[in-house]
Amino acid sequence: MNNRINNHPILGKREEKEKVEIIFDGNKITAEKGEMIAAALYANGIRINRYTIKYNEPRGIFCAIGQCTDCSMVVNGIPNVRTCITPVEKGMVIETQYGLKRSGKTND
Amino acid sequence: MIEKELVIIGAGPAGLSAAIEASKANVDVLLIDENQKAGGQLFKQIHKFFGSSAHYSGVRGIDIGKELIQKCEDLGVEIWLDSVVIGVFPNKQIAVEKKGKGLKTIRAKKIIIATGASEKVINFEGWTLPGVMGAGAAQTMTNVHRILPGKKVLMIGTGNVGLIVSYQLIQAGAEIVGLVDTASKVSGYEVHSAKIEREGVPLYLDHTIFKAQGTKEKGVTGAVIVEVNKHFQPIKGTEKEIDVDVVAIAAGLKPLSELANMANCKKTYISKLGGWVPLHNENMESTEKGIYVVGDTTGVEEANTALEEGRLAGVDVAAKLKKLSNSESENIKKQINKRLKDLRLGPFGEDRLKAKKKLIKEYNKYIKAQRPVNDYNTGPKAVIECNQEIPCNPCESACKFGAITIGEPITNQPKLDEEKCIGCGLCLHKCPGLAIFLVDKNYDNKNSTVSFPYEFSDLPQEGEMVEALNRKGEYLCEAKVLKIKKLESFDKTPIVTILVPKKYADQARNLSPIGAD
Repeated sequence: MNNRINNHPILGKREEKEKVEIIFDGNKITAEKGEMIAAALYANGIRINRYTIKYNEPRGIFCAIGQCTDCSMVVNGIPNVRTCITPVEKGMVIETQYGLKRSGKTND
Repeated sequence: MIEKELVIIGAGPAGLSAAIEASKANVDVLLIDENQKAGGQLFKQIHKFFGSSAHYSGVRGIDIGKELIQKCEDLGVEIWLDSVVIGVFPNKQIAVEKKGKGLKTIRAKKIIIATGASEKVINFEGWTLPGVMGAGAAQTMTNVHRILPGKKVLMIGTGNVGLIVSYQLIQAGAEIVGLVDTASKVSGYEVHSAKIEREGVPLYLDHTIFKAQGTKEKGVTGAVIVEVNKHFQPIKGTEKEIDVDVVAIAAGLKPLSELANMANCKKTYISKLGGWVPLHNENMESTEKGIYVVGDTTGVEEANTALEEGRLAGVDVAAKLKKLSNSESENIKKQINKRLKDLRLGPFGEDRLKAKKKLIKEYNKYIKAQRPVNDYNTGPKAVIECNQEIPCNPCESACKFGAITIGEPITNQPKLDEEKCIGCGLCLHKCPGLAIFLVDKNYDNKNSTVSFPYEFSDLPQEGEMVEALNRKGEYLCEAKVLKIKKLESFDKTPIVTILVPKKYADQARNLSPIGAD
C-alpha cells in the first residue's frame, strides 16, 4: 500500500527523507525521519491507533492537530501520546493503546 | 520568573502578525506555540486567498505562512515552539511547559491570546470509526504530511472548508464520491463549488449522512446517505449506499478560548462566530485589561481577518507601552480597520461584520456596568495615604508582587502599581504609620469594602454592626464587619474589613462600636 503523495501539482515533488525503522505492535515498519507517528502508521496502512476503555471501539486520526486525542498510543512505554503531533524516532516502539493504560493487554 | 513586555500565545496568522507589528515598534515580544512549527493552519492552506492586494490576495496560505515567519525571524522575535501554555494567572502570569526545559513562569505586561479554533463535528452512527475525520484533518494529512487519507472520500458539508478540501483531495489524487449537505444550496462560494463540480463530483444537497459503515479491524468501508425533508428529517426509502474509505466532516469551526476563560475574560454566545467568544473592544482588548484576543479565538472567520486582528492588537500594545505615539498608532489602526471592513463586506461577510459589532457593543455594555467609582475595578487594591518624606520602607518589602516602590532615598513616598497589586493586604500591618488601607470599590453593585488596621481592645466580631468613621473620626454610616484577620505574623495588628455604601469608599477609614462616644 502506498498512499504517500509523491507528486503534487502545487507542492511539487515530495522530498525524499531518510528512512528509519520503528516497531509497531512488535513488527518492524519503515517510517521517514521526522514525520509524525500517526502519519507513518497511516502510510503503512495502519489507521487504528487505540481501542476505547469502555466499549473497546477502534479510534483513529480525527483532528490531526493534537486537539482531540483520538490518535493516542503507547510510545516507548508511555501511554496517551498524541501520535499526530509526535515525530517518529529511530527504533521507537509504538503500541496500539487499549483503554487508558499500557497496551498489549485487554481492557480489564 | 521571566519578565516580558508582550507574550503572544499561538503562532498562527493572528499571532504572527501581532508579533510583527509589536516587534516593529521595538516591543519585547515572546511568541509561544505548542506545535513544532509556527504558522498555525496556514501550511495546509495551499490555495490562493481572496481579498485585495493589501490582503495577500492571490497568494497561497502556505506562502503567507513562510513570509510571516521570515518577517518574525528578521525582526528577531523570540519564539518558543513545542511549548504549551498551561495557564494564564492573575497579574498576567503565564505558566508554560517549555520544550526540554520544564515549567517556566512568565510575567507579561500585555498578553495576546491567539489560540485559533478547532473543528466541529456532527454525530451519526459510525462517526467514531477510524476513517471518519475532520475535513481539516484530511487536509493536514494531504498537504502537510503528504499522505492521502483515503482513495474514495465522502465530504459532509458544502461550506468553503468542505469545498476547498474536496478540491485539494482531488489534486492529491483522491476521488471525492460526493458532497453532502442538508441545505438546498451550496453554503460556500460558488466559485469553489464550480471547481469541483467541473471535475464531475456529485453534490447531494437536501441530504445528510445516515451512517458510516465499517468494522473494528478496518474502520470505514462505506457510508449511507439519505434525503431530508424541509425539517431536515430523513425521508425513509431514499437511503443510498456509497463505497468510501474516508468520511470527512466539514461542519464548521469553534473558537478555542479556554485560556481567555481562565484569564476571566467575559464571553458571549454568537453562533455566526462559531459559539462562545470572548468580548473585545475596537483594539481587540478583552474585558481583562491588557489581555487581547485575536483571530479565530474570538470568532471564526478567515486567515486574512485573523491577520488584521493580530496587527490591530500588536499596534495597540505598542501604543499602550508608549513605543508608538498616539497619532502613529491611530494612523496604522485606521488603515487596518479599513481593510478589515473590506473583508467583511458582501453577503458572506455581513453576518460576521454584524456579529463582530455585537461583540464590541457587549464589551462596552459590560465595561460600563463595571465602571468603578474611581479608576480601579478589579477587586481590592491597596490605598497608601503616606504623604510626607519619612525615612521608612517596610511596605516595599512587604509586597511580594513588587506593586509598591520606594527605592532610593528611603524618604521617597511609596508608589503603588495598581496593575500589580492583587489586594492581598499583607502591606497593611507592616506599615508603622498604619497608613495603608485596602479598598474594594466594587465589592458588589452597591457596596465597597474598606480594610484597615485596628489596634484597640474593643475589636468587634465578624458580622457585628459598627459605625464607620471618616479620617476625622466623624460618623459616616453603620457598617457590617465582614472580616477580622488576626495572624501571629501581624504582631497584634488585626486587619478589619467593613462593608460601606460605595459613596463612602474613599472616606471610611476607621470604626467605632455603635453608640460609643
